[in-house]
Amino acid sequence: MYAATTSVALVGGDVRPVEVQVHVGRQQDTFKLSGLPDTAVREAKDRVRAAVASSGMRFPNRTVTVNLAPADLPKGGTDYDLAIALGVLAASGEIPNPNGAVVVGELALDGTVRSGSATLGAGVLSARTKRPCLVANDSAADTAAVPGSTVYGVGSLAEAVEVLRLGLGQRDAVSPRPTPRPGNGPDLSDIKGQALARRAIEIAAAGGHHLLLHGPPGGGKTMLARRLPGILPRLTDHEAVEVALIYAAAGLRRGLDFSRPFRSPHHTASRAALVGGGSGVAVPGEASLAHRGVLFLDELAEFPRGNLDTLRQPLEDGFVTVARRGSTARFPSSFHLVGASNPCPCGFYGDRRKPCECRPAVLARYRQRVSGPLLDRIDLVVKVGRVEASEVAGPSGESSRVIRQRVEHAAEFRRDRPSETEPRARQMVLDALDSAVVTARGADRVTSVARTIADLALETRVEEDHMAEAMALRGEW
Amino acid sequence: MGHRLIDRPSPEYPVGLGDLEDPPSIFVDGEFREIPGVAVVGTRRCTRYGIDLAEAFGAAIARSGWTTVSGLARGIDAAAHRGCLRDGGHAVAVLGSGIDVCYPKENQSIFDGIVSGGGAVVSEYPPGTPPDRWRFPARNRIIAAMSSAVVVVEAARTGGALITARLAAEIGRPVFVVPGDVDRPASEGCNLLIRDGAYPVLGAADLIEELSLILGPPERDVAEEKEASMPTGGISLDDLPEFWSVTMTEALVRVGKLQVEGKVRREGEMIFPV
Repeated sequence: MYAATTSVALVGGDVRPVEVQVHVGRQQDTFKLSGLPDTAVREAKDRVRAAVASSGMRFPNRTVTVNLAPADLPKGGTDYDLAIALGVLAASGEIPNPNGAVVVGELALDGTVRSGSATLGAGVLSARTKRPCLVANDSAADTAAVPGSTVYGVGSLAEAVEVLRLGLGQRDAVSPRPTPRPGNGPDLSDIKGQALARRAIEIAAAGGHHLLLHGPPGGGKTMLARRLPGILPRLTDHEAVEVALIYAAAGLRRGLDFSRPFRSPHHTASRAALVGGGSGVAVPGEASLAHRGVLFLDELAEFPRGNLDTLRQPLEDGFVTVARRGSTARFPSSFHLVGASNPCPCGFYGDRRKPCECRPAVLARYRQRVSGPLLDRIDLVVKVGRVEASEVAGPSGESSRVIRQRVEHAAEFRRDRPSETEPRARQMVLDALDSAVVTARGADRVTSVARTIADLALETRVEEDHMAEAMALRGEW
Repeated sequence: MGHRLIDRPSPEYPVGLGDLEDPPSIFVDGEFREIPGVAVVGTRRCTRYGIDLAEAFGAAIARSGWTTVSGLARGIDAAAHRGCLRDGGHAVAVLGSGIDVCYPKENQSIFDGIVSGGGAVVSEYPPGTPPDRWRFPARNRIIAAMSSAVVVVEAARTGGALITARLAAEIGRPVFVVPGDVDRPASEGCNLLIRDGAYPVLGAADLIEELSLILGPPERDVAEEKEASMPTGGISLDDLPEFWSVTMTEALVRVGKLQVEGKVRREGEMIFPV
């Protein structure tokens, strides 16, 4: 006797359908599981057996063979429990074959269904294949937020069995949880003064430029960086799903949130933590968890150089390839890099009050700690100075909402504008190259920032002033 | 021209050395010019601020058409030479070792730049003499005597820069000193000199103005070159809008243009007039 149910596996930043094939033979009581299960999946056998018994049903006293196909794809986690249980019950003739639905859920020994990390993947697969999905009650509303999905929530194995016996059509699908409004993070109006940094952060947001903030301790570098997500356009449906799937692959729950991620790994984070790792199954790192959002590296100069260099692939390509023993996965990883650093070991280089006491050699060594190739990819380098008392008492700056609107307008404007460059602006870049004010790569970056500045001003032509401003914002550090 | 020994009777012999009690014969690599020299000296344990100022002074002296004299030591000395060379000036380095021994090694490029740039390296010690500590105070008297004025950028309570200033005063050279914070070790010597009657210097333009009273008008009027309109010691980008009384965006645009025109130079967050 044979039955099959459909479940889902998270692979890289995407989902793959997994067919849970169950065969119940005539021989003695055995339970075999194949299809590269990890320990958590293998333990499903015990949970399923107990849950079936607790739900007042009979676990077949026969040879039960379960295969998770494709069998060469490593499987992890507890999300296959429910699919396996329903498959076993169907194969032994207790319930009709539920092969229509995508089934995801972990079973408790008493038969309760809980959500695991792949629940959202069920919603995505449901939307993609136009099939209903069956998930745990506690995350059904979140899952239903995936556009195009049809989601049914169940609280226990017994309830799932009943739903299948009656047919899914007899029930109402779960309606999506109202999605939280984005921009409820900290607001830029909290920050007084800092005209330079505010200008830079707006340009960074509008053009997807990477940013380095440096300045004395306590100047507000972290405060500024935390406010970048709030001035970025809200995620689209597609992007929100993409981000949520990466979180799910990391075993983190984020639900379908339309605000931009903000990740801030500590400088002691390992390479695996930064770009991804995991034993056996590949797990995304901070660079992917920051996808479509902000990767904030505080104390940039304290990060080991080699670790920072691993970020070059995502910065260049927008994805990370994580190769592990069990599988190789590709996670999307396109983020705004924001670095923060003291300008020198004592922290006061360039300060208007306190002189810097660092010896020149120490200063040079400190700067060299950040790798050149990484700095090359940072378009905007600005100082976040100490805020004067007069500024603290002064009026608040613009709010994040106002700036976000300008950023969104610029993004819209860019979508279908022709791009021209004023001859004088072009000449300026050539002059800068000639006089070695910028390198060839630098000239490229400056031109791209100038384009963004023009977009913010809703100008199709990049003018000399745009170019000059871009030039000034690309400080070295 | 190569290495050579110059004695007092030689027409090439720097006139100023005659003011010393014991005018030494000197070994020279490179060439002297018939233009007045200004010594820019200071401590090796200097601050970034001191470096910036010394470079600015070296450059301003070079642009004025005068010679910059210093001791090729780490810190202020090296910065003064660098500033001078950057603006194509005539640099003279007086060494405490033989003229074929560059000490410290890190200043090799400055050493080479001085000779190839038409300047001169000078020492009273024969070629091959190692850089022994005790020789350095003695070479300071040559720095003082070869210059028409001495500028001390940063000096501790003890050390070579202070010795140079005192020797200079003894043989009648005016001494200019950059005032500093009273509790900063690198400025203690400077402030002491000011109390003893040295002239405080209030910036590169001020220095050139004072020097021109002694040396005659500079080749080019430095004051006219203040187009960039920026403090000599540099200013941080975020302070510029206030300094110029313009908006941040306008300030950025102006800085960008000045950068491309080569009128300002960036170093980290600081912007310096060139």
